[in-house]
Amino acid sequence: MMNGELEQFENRLRHQTLRQIPAEWRDKIIGPTSSLSSLAKIKKMEAGKMSVLRFWRELFWPNPKAWAGLAAVWIFIFILNFSTRDKVPMGAGKVSPSSPDVMVQLKLQQQMLAELMGVNDLHEADRQKFIPKPRSEWVEILTA
Amino acid sequence: MPGGLDIERIYDEHAQPLYAFLLNFARDEADTRDLLQEIFVKLTREPKLLRGVRDERAFLIRLAHNAAIDLMRRRGTREKTKEHFAVEAVSIFASTENPDEKFFRDELSVALGELPEEQRAVVHLKLWSELTFEQIATALDISPNTAASRYRYGLDKLRERLRPLYEEMKKAE
Repeated sequence: MMNGELEQFENRLRHQTLRQIPAEWRDKIIGPTSSLSSLAKIKKMEAGKMSVLRFWRELFWPNPKAWAGLAAVWIFIFILNFSTRDKVPMGAGKVSPSSPDVMVQLKLQQQMLAELMGVNDLHEADRQKFIPKPRSEWVEILTA
Repeated sequence: MPGGLDIERIYDEHAQPLYAFLLNFARDEADTRDLLQEIFVKLTREPKLLRGVRDERAFLIRLAHNAAIDLMRRRGTREKTKEHFAVEAVSIFASTENPDEKFFRDELSVALGELPEEQRAVVHLKLWSELTFEQIATALDISPNTAASRYRYGLDKLRERLRPLYEEMKKAE
C-alpha cells in the first residue's frame, strides 16, 4: 500500500462515527459528585480547624511544665485577689435601719436646735445649710 | 461554581471523548460507566488536581488511561482466579444502517481490540480524539517519538488486518 493509500485508509478510519455517550449518564455521574463536593467543603473546614488546633498544640507541647507553671501562678493571683476582696468588712456597705424611736429623738433634737438658733421654721434652717464660699473668704473668717 | 471546580462544564466538554477512549479499553458499558464515574469522583474529591493544568483534555485522558490500565489488571487477576465467561464485546462505533459500513465498523472494532494496549491508546487518541503526538505524549507520559512509532505500528496492523475488506469496499465504491 503506497503512502497515498495509507492516508486514505487513515481518513477512512478517522471518519468512522464513535458511539455516543448515553444521555442519562450525565445525571448519574454528576449527581453523586455534588454531594461529594459539599462533603469536600466540610472536610476542608475541618482541616482548617485542625490546623488551628495543631498551632496551639505546637505552641504548648514543647514546654508543657513551663505553661502549667504559668497557669498555676495566674490561678494563685486570682485566688489571692478574691480572698483579699472578701476581707472588706461586711457591715461597711450596709446602713442599719433606723428605728422609729431614734427618728423621733432626732426630730426633737432638730426642733430644739432650731429654737435655740432662733429660727422658727425648720425648713428654713434646713435651707441654711453649707454653701461653698471662695477660699479667700474662708481665709478672712479664720484670720478674724 | 465560583472559585470551585465546574464539574458540569468538564463533563460537557470532555465526557464524550473520555467515554469513547474508555470503551475502547473496557469494551463493556457498565465498566466504562464505572471508570468514568471514578474519574469524576476523583476530580470532585481533589479539585486541586486540575489547578494549573494547561491541557485539560490531555490531563483527563491520562486519568482515563490510568483507570483503564487498572481495570485491565483487575480483569487479568479475576480471569486467573475465576472462570472466564465470554462476554460479547461492545463496539466502540455507532451503529449504521449501511450493512457494508456496519461490517467494516464491527471488524475495525475487533481489530482495535486485538492491538496491544499501548498502540490502541495512541491510535485512538490520534484518530478519534484528534490529539497531536505532543498531546498524546503528555497524556500517556511517553515521548512524542514513541507516540509516533506506536501509532505507525498500530496503523500498520489495522491495515493488514482489514486489507481484504477495505479493498473490497474500495472496489465497490
